[in-house]
Amino acid sequence: MSVVIWVHDECLNPEARVFREYPGAPAVFVWDDGAIENEQWTLKRIGFVYECLLELPVSILRGDVAEQFAGFAAGCGASRIVTSGFVNPRLARVAAALDGLEVLEEPPLVDLPADIDLRRFSRYWAKAEPLLFGRKA
Amino acid sequence: MSGAFKSDEMRRAFDNRGDLVAYLRAQFPAAAARGGGFSAFRGGRRAALARLSGCDPGAYAASRNSLNGSVTRLSPYLRHGVIGLREVVDSLQKRHGGLVRARKLVQELAWRDYWRRVWARIGDGIWEDRETYKTGFHASHYTGELPRDVESSATGLACMDAFARELKETGYLHNHARMWLAAYLVHWRRVRWQAGARWFLSHLADGDAASNNLSWQWVASSFSSKPYFFNRENLETYTQGAYCRACPRRGWCEFEGTYPDLRRKLFPLLEPGA
Repeated sequence: MSVVIWVHDECLNPEARVFREYPGAPAVFVWDDGAIENEQWTLKRIGFVYECLLELPVSILRGDVAEQFAGFAAGCGASRIVTSGFVNPRLARVAAALDGLEVLEEPPLVDLPADIDLRRFSRYWAKAEPLLFGRKA
Repeated sequence: MSGAFKSDEMRRAFDNRGDLVAYLRAQFPAAAARGGGFSAFRGGRRAALARLSGCDPGAYAASRNSLNGSVTRLSPYLRHGVIGLREVVDSLQKRHGGLVRARKLVQELAWRDYWRRVWARIGDGIWEDRETYKTGFHASHYTGELPRDVESSATGLACMDAFARELKETGYLHNHARMWLAAYLVHWRRVRWQAGARWFLSHLADGDAASNNLSWQWVASSFSSKPYFFNRENLETYTQGAYCRACPRRGWCEFEGTYPDLRRKLFPLLEPGA
């Protein structure tokens, strides 16, 4: 079953799990023209991201992300899609349009329960600090 | 790179950085027109690892609040997942035989983790006030427009004009400069934090709504128990006087005064009997 990797702007790491677990799989990054306008990106960030992409084994496209990705995946004959974890709701909306997407999360800074109290940093830190300073690398 | 769909692929081969800049200017003319130059940071994993190897957590703890302090400048790489928070902490631990010297740096990295966890929970709500302002003012007392003189570095305040210029030209600002500029906009100019956050996100190479918006809310007091503000003495100390010395407003700027004085001026409705 062939796999295609969707690379997005929250994980531009050539050593990310998606690349380690699927070496040689076709991968694509799509510049989201709508987001660049909505979020008013400048060339400073575009240039930074582009230089990151040049160290990744990806094809670089632009336009509507889900549409471009679908075309790329169809061209590869892919039946499965993998990507790295993300938080941005903009990426979540793209992900919702991709059938059969598998998300490979990178290791978190610290393992905490999903329902941890986040009302203030101090509450988070009370739980995170002992775990961070009590573990071995 | 691979696959059959090749019709609209963007270029991957460039003779040098200038060649890449020219290509991107042509490809993204609207973004180029929004101002500034190219990123002050070189993108990529190799550059991220080089920065990581240069991190000095002891010096960071001692000097991070100064504009010439030993900060990591890893934020654009962390924001774009070129390098992970866990990886940075593990690297510090291995290199220094533990995290004793890195306590402050690890805590600052944890702030980034915390903001992202909040974002994951609230999604698009990241653009809404988390809580009411603790300034005595209602959100409707703040304007939603970024003042033109601030955006164009024409306030006459040497510090704020320099920070705005640096933001636009380089895509980076030291964290303390971000806090001063944010406090100036929200508390002195009475601008809604969202307007400032949008402006920062547009220019920052490390901008993400998690760290950016929630830090703005922390300054504004809509995600903290009190507003963050500063006085000239504080700014002068941590900038080694670099801006105050040459400032045309030296001696009579709006940041002059003690903290109690400034609190009375900025937040008069919090005064007893107000």
